[in-house]
Amino acid sequence: MSNITSKNTVIIALSSALLFTGCANQTPNLSSGNVEYGDSKAVETLTNEFGSTDLQSIAQSMSNSLLQSPVLSAKLRPLITVADVKNHTSEYIDTKAITDTIRAKMLKSGLVRFAVDTSAMQNQTDELIRQNSGLYKKSKSKKLGQMEGADFRVEGTIASIVKRADDVKDVYYKFSLQLIDNESGVIEWADEKEIRKTSNQSMF
Amino acid sequence: MKLTHPKYKKNHTNFVLLASLLLTLNACSTIPTAQNPNSIPAKVEQLGEMSYLHVSNIAAQKRKQLLFVQAEISNSDSDNQQLFYRFKWLDANGFVIDNDEAWQPLLVYAGQKQTINGLAPTPQATDFRILVSSPDNTGNP
Repeated sequence: MSNITSKNTVIIALSSALLFTGCANQTPNLSSGNVEYGDSKAVETLTNEFGSTDLQSIAQSMSNSLLQSPVLSAKLRPLITVADVKNHTSEYIDTKAITDTIRAKMLKSGLVRFAVDTSAMQNQTDELIRQNSGLYKKSKSKKLGQMEGADFRVEGTIASIVKRADDVKDVYYKFSLQLIDNESGVIEWADEKEIRKTSNQSMF
Repeated sequence: MKLTHPKYKKNHTNFVLLASLLLTLNACSTIPTAQNPNSIPAKVEQLGEMSYLHVSNIAAQKRKQLLFVQAEISNSDSDNQQLFYRFKWLDANGFVIDNDEAWQPLLVYAGQKQTINGLAPTPQATDFRILVSSPDNTGNP
């Protein structure tokens, strides 16, 4: 009799444990309750320093303008490389993040091609040298001296003007981009994107 | 009663025709009038209620394989209004293409009109929607 009772107790305890475990894992989420995912594409106005919306706006505007430039449509899938975008602001801005987004947007269109830029050149040459080191079948390895030189390069600057008056802080950003013909040195296209952000730091 | 008899067969055929006609007429009367797919309301997706800003004109054309869209935003208020917008691109079958366009902020002056531009990310985009929102809305990206 006591055996049956203890068996029942074990079954009830196990069922309860399973039930509660089931309740605790309704969603595949392990959270402390203080962190949540947001929309990475939302308009961000937390401070007036350079932010994600500025990066996205600049990249969107510049890639749209470049894709519509007559010089790029004159050639069939022209080859472009990305040179430096110099940061002339007082802030730290990762300009490569901006040019990477511009490049990704332009590549998605399928209307242009990009050659590896100077920052990726070491990896490119390392890979070619490795393939031609004698470890690989000659017929299966990529040959040296077959890289293509870019028709154009993209380079630019980002500058800012910051002004303060009483509790108001005004930040003006200007992002300038140019497309230069690598052979002739002619600037074939240029555009700018301006952003103004004003914040009021008044406590009342 | 067997419907295979020629007399009944004829009546049966008439009944079927009449029923089909009634069904068709009934169906026609209950189908809602479809919205013109090229009208402004069909192209605009609004987050919540917008009190003062509205899309007053839209023009679209293919430019070098890519669909280019220009929309005019009007502010009917006597104060400046902030608009947030983004474009959604669709292919010929209605599938969303590359849904990673960010929301863009735009200041529309009191009683003024501003234009916004969008360029499709790929040549496969043949249709679009303009998503709009303002701080007066219930939705705020």
